[in-house]
Amino acid sequence: MGTTASQLGKDLLSEYQELTFLTKQEILLAHKRFSELLSKEDRNLTSVPMEKVLSLPELKSNPFRKRICHVFSTSDMKDGSLTFEDFLDLLSAFSDSATLEIKSHYAFRIFDFDDDGTLDGGDLEKLVNCLTGETEDTRLTPEEMRQLISNILEESDIDKDGTVNLSEFQHVISRSPDFVSSFKIVL
Amino acid sequence: MATFSGHFGGGVQSYFMFLRFLVVLNFLSFLLIAGFILIPSIVFRSTSNMTVDSTGCVCVSGLEECRVYDPNLQGLVVFYQYFLDLLSGTGFMEYSYMFYGYYNNTVAESSGFHYNLPLAYLLTSVFYFAFCLICIITRMGSALRIAVATGSGAAGSYSKMVFTGWDFGCQGDRATQLKQKSIHYQLQVDLEEERLQKKSLSLTLGQTVGLCSLRIFLMLVSLALIGGAFFGIFKATVFSQAQVGAEGILGLFWVYLPSIVITTGNFVVPFMCDQIALFERYSPSTTIIMALFRSVFLRMISLGVLLFTLWSQITCFKDSPKCELCQYNNKEYPCWETRVGQEMYKLALFDFLITIAMLILVEFPRRLFVDHYSCALTRWVGRQEFLVPPNVLGQVYGQTVVWTGALFCPLLPLINTLKFFILFYCKKVTLFSNCRPAVKTFRSTTSIIFFLVVLLFGWGIALVAMIYSLAQIHPSMSCGPFRSLTMMWSIVPNTFYTLSLTTQDFIFYMGSQAFSIPLFIFSCVVLCYVAALAAVYFDRRKWK
Repeated sequence: MGTTASQLGKDLLSEYQELTFLTKQEILLAHKRFSELLSKEDRNLTSVPMEKVLSLPELKSNPFRKRICHVFSTSDMKDGSLTFEDFLDLLSAFSDSATLEIKSHYAFRIFDFDDDGTLDGGDLEKLVNCLTGETEDTRLTPEEMRQLISNILEESDIDKDGTVNLSEFQHVISRSPDFVSSFKIVL
Repeated sequence: MATFSGHFGGGVQSYFMFLRFLVVLNFLSFLLIAGFILIPSIVFRSTSNMTVDSTGCVCVSGLEECRVYDPNLQGLVVFYQYFLDLLSGTGFMEYSYMFYGYYNNTVAESSGFHYNLPLAYLLTSVFYFAFCLICIITRMGSALRIAVATGSGAAGSYSKMVFTGWDFGCQGDRATQLKQKSIHYQLQVDLEEERLQKKSLSLTLGQTVGLCSLRIFLMLVSLALIGGAFFGIFKATVFSQAQVGAEGILGLFWVYLPSIVITTGNFVVPFMCDQIALFERYSPSTTIIMALFRSVFLRMISLGVLLFTLWSQITCFKDSPKCELCQYNNKEYPCWETRVGQEMYKLALFDFLITIAMLILVEFPRRLFVDHYSCALTRWVGRQEFLVPPNVLGQVYGQTVVWTGALFCPLLPLINTLKFFILFYCKKVTLFSNCRPAVKTFRSTTSIIFFLVVLLFGWGIALVAMIYSLAQIHPSMSCGPFRSLTMMWSIVPNTFYTLSLTTQDFIFYMGSQAFSIPLFIFSCVVLCYVAALAAVYFDRRKWK
């Protein structure tokens, strides 16, 4: 249903504005950038493949870019391709006006690398590797990683089941006042 | 400003904000001094229709010798002599608005307008100190407010660091890598601290005793090094003061000897202390803090040693016969305030020249060398790292010199404004073209609050120096606004007694117990209220 025509209809624009946290200008800018991603031959396609999305400068160096595409993609083939509405969902969650619950919800899904609904040791290890750098010499040593993961679980795992679920995650996030301003992508 | 934090991290941004704050502070101080001391002085000199009258001359006969002061004014001098005079503050510069000796103790009176220059000089200096203190505290207050609101320094909370540590607005490969490196370093530091803590709890008694004695021994070694530096400064100052009047380049060298020794000490001693610190085996954060405290101690106290040496020479601690006549050493120091002002001027100028020389002669060639030749040596040396704490200490040292010297060299804040202004842009250029960002940063030492605390420490030392000069040493009888008084501070009581009787009674009442005790109680009540408010604010923030 997302239009790839160069103009976005007025009623569609108002509909998008009601459904997301974005302003009309932000939606128009998003539409413009999304259309640029589609090259001339793919004019009849409705979704942009993941590689093209990752070429956006805002996402290009982000260590979580692939996870972001996977989380917001509604494609059946699970290949991380985004329609225009998926793209708007992404920008809405990362916008200035999105609430803490929305942001923490999406952050949880982004950090959940194996998509099982909880953050276990494997997820945490991949998360830390994304934070410190993906090359060999920027990773923590296995000892340090073990120590760090056990500290994290000790601090945030309240029900002591060995994993961090969504409410425990949101509890940690709520104690950090600058999460809202750092979980932000603006075009 | 945002480009600094994006490319080099928050610490560098705080450094440049601090530098800008110092420029503004110095400029405002210069306006203050110009308005109350400089401009009236210029006006009084040029107009001679105002009655000039000295305030209560303590004119005891037999002290004519003390009032001799010949600043050696030569008409036309050789060009290089002019340049040497500019660098050392002698010759044409000595008897000018630059230094204390040029100002007269004029009390100008004309048709209802009464201006007491010595009183203005003293009160402006005192107010200058108070003004700087207020500025620093206000700045600290606003910075603290920001720090409390953003919950800075939440180290030790690993889950918070990992879950909320990434800034999704970070764009570009370079900024991303920098952020990743700093997160990596922060995690490593915290994990290592925890491991060291666990290890130290598990040490046997014998091992603990061994470690403690090793640390005490190394602390004594570093204190001995610092003490050696102080002794060197003392000897250099004594020697340099004895060489006044030497000619040419060698004369310039002798004159600059204290500054050279201080600067050399400031380079060599921290370097050696760093090597010692490798054996002390403290945790990384403690090592950095210890190194910083040693540097601060070294710099500030070396300035103190210089001042102490100068004063002991002026008031001759050991050699009493020289000071019997005028209560200060008038043979070698006919106008001692100018001499102290000259020393401070030389320190400030030398500091500036050395910094610029370091930029041009060390950092630029290093960058060219590293970029154009690649061998094992260049890879090991690498580009210059922009370390924030040593740069901050340099600036605080410069500012302390200005504070100490402002009483004796009223134009010093103006010189300092220009110096810091030029330094801001030079450092910015060298930062962007020559340096790579410092990876190993420790949050609390790169915050602006830490810089302001160290600045306050420098201010305290300058305050002690000023109080000692005002209240203890006899002003020169041959020059300056206070030439007829036994003590610089006595102008205030003298003027006070010329006020009307009701004003005197009112001020006495304010100082008496009937007023001050209720005032004290009231301030305690206000303090308790503010503390309670702050506690409530803290709790509410935690609940959110």
